[in-house]
Amino acid sequence: MDRKKNLSIFLLIAVFIISICGLVYELVAGALASYLLGDSVKQFSFIIGTYLFSMGVGSYLAKFIQKNLFDKFIEIELLIGMIGGLSSVLLFLLFQQVEHFQFILYFVVFLTGCLCGMEIPLLMNILKDRVQFKDLVSNVFAFDYIGALIASVLFPILLIPKLGVMGTSLFFGMINILVGVFLAFYLSDFLKRSTFIKIKAIVCFLVLTVVFIYSDKLLNYSENQLYGNNIIYKHTTPYQRIVLTTTGDDYQLFLNNNLQFNTKDEYRYHESLVHPAMSIAKNPKHILVLGGGDGLAAREILKYPSVEKITLVDLDEGMTKLFQTNEILRKHNSNSLNNPKLSIINMDAFIWLQEHHDLYDVIIVDFPDPSNYSLGKLYSTAFYKRLKSIMNQDCIIAVQTTSPYYAPKSYWCIYETIASIFPNPQAYHAYVPSFGEWGYCLFSPNSNIDFNQVNFKVAGLKFYDYNFSKMMDFADDMKKREVEINRLDNQILVRYFDEEWGKI
Amino acid sequence: MKNGEKSNWSRRNFLKSTFILGISSQFLHSCKQQANRIFLKLTGTKHVLGHRLRFPDFPIPAQEFHMPTMILGGGIAGLSAAYQFNETGFEHFILVEMENSVGGNSRSGQNKYSKFPLGAHYLPIPNASNKEIYNFLEKSKIVTGWTADQKPIFDEEQLTFSPQSRLFIKNYWQEGTIPEYSLTEEEKADFIRFFEQMKIFSKSRGNDGKYIFDIPTMFASKEHDFYSLDKITMEKWMQSQGYQSVDLFEYVNYCCRDDFGTGIKHTSAFAGIHYFSSRKHDYYPDDDHVLTWQEGNSRLVQHLKTYVEGKIKTNLLAYKIEIEQDKVKVYLYDSKNDKSIIYIVDKLIISSPQFVNQYLLPQRKTMTKVCQYAPWITATIVLKKFPPTVGAPLSWDNVIHAGKGLGYIYDQHQGLGQFQNPFVLTYYHSMDGPDLRVERQQLYDYSDKEWRDFIIEDLSTAHFEIEKEIESIEIFRLGHGMISPVVGYLSSNERKELEKPIDKKIFFAHSDLSGISIFEESFYRGIMAAKEVIDSI
Repeated sequence: MDRKKNLSIFLLIAVFIISICGLVYELVAGALASYLLGDSVKQFSFIIGTYLFSMGVGSYLAKFIQKNLFDKFIEIELLIGMIGGLSSVLLFLLFQQVEHFQFILYFVVFLTGCLCGMEIPLLMNILKDRVQFKDLVSNVFAFDYIGALIASVLFPILLIPKLGVMGTSLFFGMINILVGVFLAFYLSDFLKRSTFIKIKAIVCFLVLTVVFIYSDKLLNYSENQLYGNNIIYKHTTPYQRIVLTTTGDDYQLFLNNNLQFNTKDEYRYHESLVHPAMSIAKNPKHILVLGGGDGLAAREILKYPSVEKITLVDLDEGMTKLFQTNEILRKHNSNSLNNPKLSIINMDAFIWLQEHHDLYDVIIVDFPDPSNYSLGKLYSTAFYKRLKSIMNQDCIIAVQTTSPYYAPKSYWCIYETIASIFPNPQAYHAYVPSFGEWGYCLFSPNSNIDFNQVNFKVAGLKFYDYNFSKMMDFADDMKKREVEINRLDNQILVRYFDEEWGKI
Repeated sequence: MKNGEKSNWSRRNFLKSTFILGISSQFLHSCKQQANRIFLKLTGTKHVLGHRLRFPDFPIPAQEFHMPTMILGGGIAGLSAAYQFNETGFEHFILVEMENSVGGNSRSGQNKYSKFPLGAHYLPIPNASNKEIYNFLEKSKIVTGWTADQKPIFDEEQLTFSPQSRLFIKNYWQEGTIPEYSLTEEEKADFIRFFEQMKIFSKSRGNDGKYIFDIPTMFASKEHDFYSLDKITMEKWMQSQGYQSVDLFEYVNYCCRDDFGTGIKHTSAFAGIHYFSSRKHDYYPDDDHVLTWQEGNSRLVQHLKTYVEGKIKTNLLAYKIEIEQDKVKVYLYDSKNDKSIIYIVDKLIISSPQFVNQYLLPQRKTMTKVCQYAPWITATIVLKKFPPTVGAPLSWDNVIHAGKGLGYIYDQHQGLGQFQNPFVLTYYHSMDGPDLRVERQQLYDYSDKEWRDFIIEDLSTAHFEIEKEIESIEIFRLGHGMISPVVGYLSSNERKELEKPIDKKIFFAHSDLSGISIFEESFYRGIMAAKEVIDSI
């Protein structure tokens, strides 16, 4: 075959590949728009319309290109590869940042469409002197439409499942540019600035390859934006996703996207949880902490010199390890988890209770809120009954019991559940700015203990002033509600909780 | 201080995170598909050993032993007889079991994640009249005390935890197993009328003043004119009452299959109604709780076993029984040591099912013909995670409306710990058809792969692409899973004949004599047989 004939075949193959790529960019834009903005029918419809229209614009503009057709053709090829290939990355990263996301989206679609639209007239212009007109038109369009069919079939079946949206557009950008690279070398003789175009083509290819390789990192980067702060640590344990962020001098810890504490005001929460119980207890030596793998409750407990032994039972080893080893977090919990008085047991608290029978003077219960049936078990009568079996006669127990303001039924349900097993539990609450009004419950198996009698005070607290009675008063919007008792066989608390927090 | 502040979670954020998840899970997806190899295991009751009874060629007995009383069969009935002996201080007996462990249909298994049942797995709150059961439950610390108004207090940890059950209907998981989701007003009216009618049946008493529908059936009225209900199928009866709702028929069909093996096309109307009206809910009327354990009713077996310590002999298959003057001669094949022995006893309680007894006492063959047993499978499935679904969360009992099987139990549900991967499920399926022998053949003809495909196809209705998440499936086959109260069985003369002791020497105790395969029936068959033995001494 002579070179002339080969040329037109190669160019037709180029048309074929280009049309696949063009349609893929269009589909990527459509998929992205429906992922990010919702309403896929509307998004796809608008994208296809814009794309076809801009192809028309491109075709029209093509007539103004009259010189150096080969140079221009390859350059357009490279430009499409770059814009189309990077389109999803660009849109994905900009989505968080910019106000007028839709404008950028349609602008990118317009640009890609426009450039794609220029290709075919340009190619026909190149080939018009080499091929008969009737062959030219039918061949070009036949290859163009076959390419379109293949792209639209492959896209949902193979490309999106295997490569994802970002990978697909980058991958096709690379193919697109590869065609450009090939043509740049193959058509070297026809090009005016052949070396320049070759270099350009190779550079473009390298850029896309690098982005393709690092696309995972890019995804991670955009995830960072989610928390609105700088993520300084991220870790997924078998039980939860731990994310530590920072703003200014403060740190925030998120567990499964729920704010666990903010260093700005967590002392309010932990002082209220720990100090009433510790100060009322007489000479507390053996302390049990259930949950509280952040070591912050332990930090408060260690302020009492009478303490000889702290047992901390937390399900998640990833959590306790993190708070034992991370510099920032260790500084914050005063290295409490590495204190020789403290021993950590990474076990399910309920299961641990089944198997252990040591007795404790103070028990601090700091579980996550009862947001599902699994956690709901830890607030059931069965749980408190088992807890009773490891209490010293004068044991004082403090439990975090969700917000009496946001979830009054849940709050009082926990209170009533405790009251069904223990005499005279005391409900109390404190204000923690990051969370709002927060509630606790204090109780003891000994009905004679006076919760207003303080036995020991620690100096230097920032919030709790040992005036316990001040925290016992509940305003009307947090007053006691008519509620059922939470049992394993009704799990009514989870229903209350879902109903109340679901509204917010 | 946990869910205190909702992080600033805009729609944009949300979409974006699902997008990220979407992309990453797609990648994982394709890798997993390749690695997915489900571990399969096919086991069951010792049907091959049992089948040797048909063509007995056992070794000639080498030894003879003497014992005042023997209980033959270590299912709930046999163990309950032993429990009753213990209650009355009677000690001169042994209990013989063909399998290597007692428990019958209430046995269990265990893998590294959970215990699981291999058959019966719960006990509904018994009727107040079942004093003997309450006595047993109290001894076993399942009932922990009584309230001031004389209601039993059940141990919270042994009642089903919430959420108890859910039903997959019209592509949605609703709470509870009675269809409610997207029913029309007419359908709802059918359900209401049906339950009203069942309530009336529940209160109906015969001429002797006893309930017509009661548990155990032996205490129910014998003087009533409801026997005609045993002559038609549940389906025919429901049609005759003008019920229309397809969902109601499906629901009742499910209930019948769940308790009897057979559905409404074969179960008698009397038995079908019995299902809904024999439980009186005397103590807690609005409560549908049941007692259950991770290992199912194997827990009850463990309690019963404590009263028979040292008296159980396993791997012994009885193959012949002869009455000789005032003694009964029991020929036993010791499958472990491949030898035969003879026990000469004064009294014998046969607590094996009638399909076995027909080989031991050939003269009963004509009568035992009427007993029909539904084949069952239970399959223990280890699941890495659940594909996402819409509606109620994973519950203890999970039923697929109009499914092929009977749904599945989440075995770790009764654990005190946090729910965790991997999940262990027990899938139930009863094989229903006009001829249960054909179904039984099918049970054994199916290969492990065919059963796997059957189970996966059924579960996939509710859990799209669940196959990819399954680690292993352990299929347990029960050829004679349970007695099925098909049309005519409960009122048959044969059944009444089968109940009768022979010559004050041989007594029968098995739930198939009641026609209803539940713990309470077995329990009472056992203790009543033991009482008769003691009375006859």
